[in-house]
Amino acid sequence: MAAAGHMTASGAPARTGGMTLRRQVLLLRIALLAGLLGIWEAAAASGLLFRDVVPSLLTIGRSLFELLAVPDFQWEVGITTLWVPDFYRHLWITMAEVGAGMTIGGFSGLAVGLALGANPFLSKAFERFLYYLGPTPKIIFFPLMIMWFGVGPGSKVAMGTISCFFPIVLSAAAGMRQIESVLIRVGRSFRLNTWQMVTKIYLPAMRQPIVNGVRLGLGVAVIGTLLAETKLSNRGVGFLIIDAYNTFDMPRMYSLLIVLFVVAIGANALVGRASRG
Amino acid sequence: MSAQWLRRNDVIPVLFGIACLLAFFVLIEILVASGKINPFIVPKPSEIVTSFGRIIADENVLSRFFVTCGEALAASLMLAVTGIGLGVLLHRLRLLRLATETWVAAMASAPLVLMYPLFLVLFGRSVWTVIMIGFVAALPPVVLKTLEGLSGTRAVLINVGRSFNLTPSQLYWKILFPSALPTIFVGVRLGMIFALINIVGVEFLINFGGLGQLVNELSERYDLPGTFAAICFVILVSVVFFMATERIERWLRPGT
Amino acid sequence: MASADSILVVEDIVKRFETPDGVLTAVDHVSFDVAPGEFLAVIGPSGCGKSTLFNVIGGLLDGYDGRVSVAGETVSGPHPSIGMIFQEESTFPWRTVIDNVAFPLEIAGMGKSERYDKARHFVGLVGLDGFERRYPSELSGGMRQRVSMARTLASEPKILLMDEPFAALDEQTRLLLGDKVLQIQQDLKQTTLLITHNLTEAVQLSDRILVMTYRPGKTKRIVDIKLPRPRTSEIVGSDAFGHYVAQIWNDLREEASKGLKDDEQRVARAGAVRK
Repeated sequence: MAAAGHMTASGAPARTGGMTLRRQVLLLRIALLAGLLGIWEAAAASGLLFRDVVPSLLTIGRSLFELLAVPDFQWEVGITTLWVPDFYRHLWITMAEVGAGMTIGGFSGLAVGLALGANPFLSKAFERFLYYLGPTPKIIFFPLMIMWFGVGPGSKVAMGTISCFFPIVLSAAAGMRQIESVLIRVGRSFRLNTWQMVTKIYLPAMRQPIVNGVRLGLGVAVIGTLLAETKLSNRGVGFLIIDAYNTFDMPRMYSLLIVLFVVAIGANALVGRASRG
Repeated sequence: MSAQWLRRNDVIPVLFGIACLLAFFVLIEILVASGKINPFIVPKPSEIVTSFGRIIADENVLSRFFVTCGEALAASLMLAVTGIGLGVLLHRLRLLRLATETWVAAMASAPLVLMYPLFLVLFGRSVWTVIMIGFVAALPPVVLKTLEGLSGTRAVLINVGRSFNLTPSQLYWKILFPSALPTIFVGVRLGMIFALINIVGVEFLINFGGLGQLVNELSERYDLPGTFAAICFVILVSVVFFMATERIERWLRPGT
Repeated sequence: MASADSILVVEDIVKRFETPDGVLTAVDHVSFDVAPGEFLAVIGPSGCGKSTLFNVIGGLLDGYDGRVSVAGETVSGPHPSIGMIFQEESTFPWRTVIDNVAFPLEIAGMGKSERYDKARHFVGLVGLDGFERRYPSELSGGMRQRVSMARTLASEPKILLMDEPFAALDEQTRLLLGDKVLQIQQDLKQTTLLITHNLTEAVQLSDRILVMTYRPGKTKRIVDIKLPRPRTSEIVGSDAFGHYVAQIWNDLREEASKGLKDDEQRVARAGAVRK
């Protein structure tokens, strides 16, 4: 890393010593990854640091393979029966819960956000409740959600819903207020009706903030749903993680976290792409 | 944001909002009292208010509050030092930044708090599990915001510095850093709020420590009014924390 | 004008940039010099390399041919005798007016009370007394530009170098700030080099005007402005003023229309590539 330092003095030319910048970046990335994995493996082999908590990479790899590629569950999909790794069933359940939460929380959040953005009176009356409720821990509502929606998927969907509702409301309301007023005057000058104003001016002009809100919402909905699954559930990725903890299967826990992070980061990037398209 | 809500012609809508909230509580009270809503699912708002005194007296709310605050403070300190430090490091070492900025951004969008069972294995059911989760889950945004602030310094301000023949260290401390400071504060504040949310959440999940555990214990005892009161208390603490950081931030960044 | 008396000498500057469309010559063999106490304006259409020239003289840009010297000393990097005022808003938002103006004095290591006394003098010079404790965000655009001006003047530069300092302001504010500049120049005998695209501003303020051509930027003509001093903005109503404006616009119009045509072609080409 020290060697990297002097090559990167500000204003360094794109080529240093005949190597393109891209190549240097690639090499540094490989070196960093190799270094981190090397340290991990050394720690695992020596057993000095956090014994049993740092399994060797090979063990984690084997566990990852078992998780993703060894069929151990008969999944009845419609009329056919698939022989698949059980993980996919849990992943599907979690994704369905998050999807349901995002749908309910997203549409209600958008509707409320548009109402608050359009009406200054409502905004002044209610928005600050939402503004201050937004950054509070939602997971503590879980006992109530269990009471109201049961121990099954219902309470997880409810957690996803209340998690994603706040960021979406606040981004939609703020996004609506940030629309350049000249665009609205242009719309009026063409005598657009309310529906046309919403679909031709407001929503297209608000695309960026809405996508941002959905992105933030998705992040917290995933967290809300999965945390709820770790607390009380017998299905879903969150349950698998806490189950791996309870059985002290560390390689499996690492595998689950890796897969979960990859899926979450991928989903986030996908939503982010929608804002640029 | 809150300052503009205090303007005088806003009094009527604000009062209207509060009145609606109170009317909602009264409606719930009536519905529960008349048996339209099962009191074992939603307790009477009046019962929640009266159980405030009970939980404060019986459940050591004050000491729990200080436990949670202490954890949040420790995590925040670690966040500020490590987050700003890493941000400055990445800004100085351009190649390292090019190699790792997308990694940090990816980490910011990963549900890091789900690593709490791992920390449970590492640190046991201890205050360190709680602090470390608060710290780790909130670290990426602090790093990213620091980096954004430092590299967002307007070119003309750097040129002003160069036109006055500033040395590189003067350029850093007199221009780059003060110009980045407002953005860095935003990052640290964001990190602190994240940390508090995750700390209370993990306390609840692992049934250990401060206010989060209180909610868990009361709900496991099926003390519904108590659970509601405890949740209200946690919300109150988060809101006060949020407002306080908002104030501090405004106080720390004059002229913007 | 003999180069022996000149305080700033610009000799044969050539600056080229590599662009995706090939090498672009921004400044092409430009030479001139400025006598002590003189006010010289460089005027040209957008894209004529004025700002490149500003950065070269200010020492913010290197990799050019030719030589810039101040009192016989070749410039490499920002020269302590040259004070620069930028086109963009350049006050430090985290410092009050007085702290902005005291900035160069603080860098020079001047003691606290001394530097505030001096800064207060320059704040007064640009007419901002009473605003010392305000932050730039509380001021108007014209006031902020005056803060930048006072900050640069506080470093007491031998040569003041300005890059379209009033470009972001409205015409009336610009004329009034022009008065301020005229008055300061007269009081301080300040040698000034102004880069601008604004005709009125150039004629209102200058002793001489150098007209540049559109791409590559060459010297088209140097015009002596023989308007009486001390001047105020009232001069814009005089016949002599109108005569100078007409004369320079004659030169400038040709160059500006070249620029316009070039823009149109560039946009058309970019469109063709996208298809």
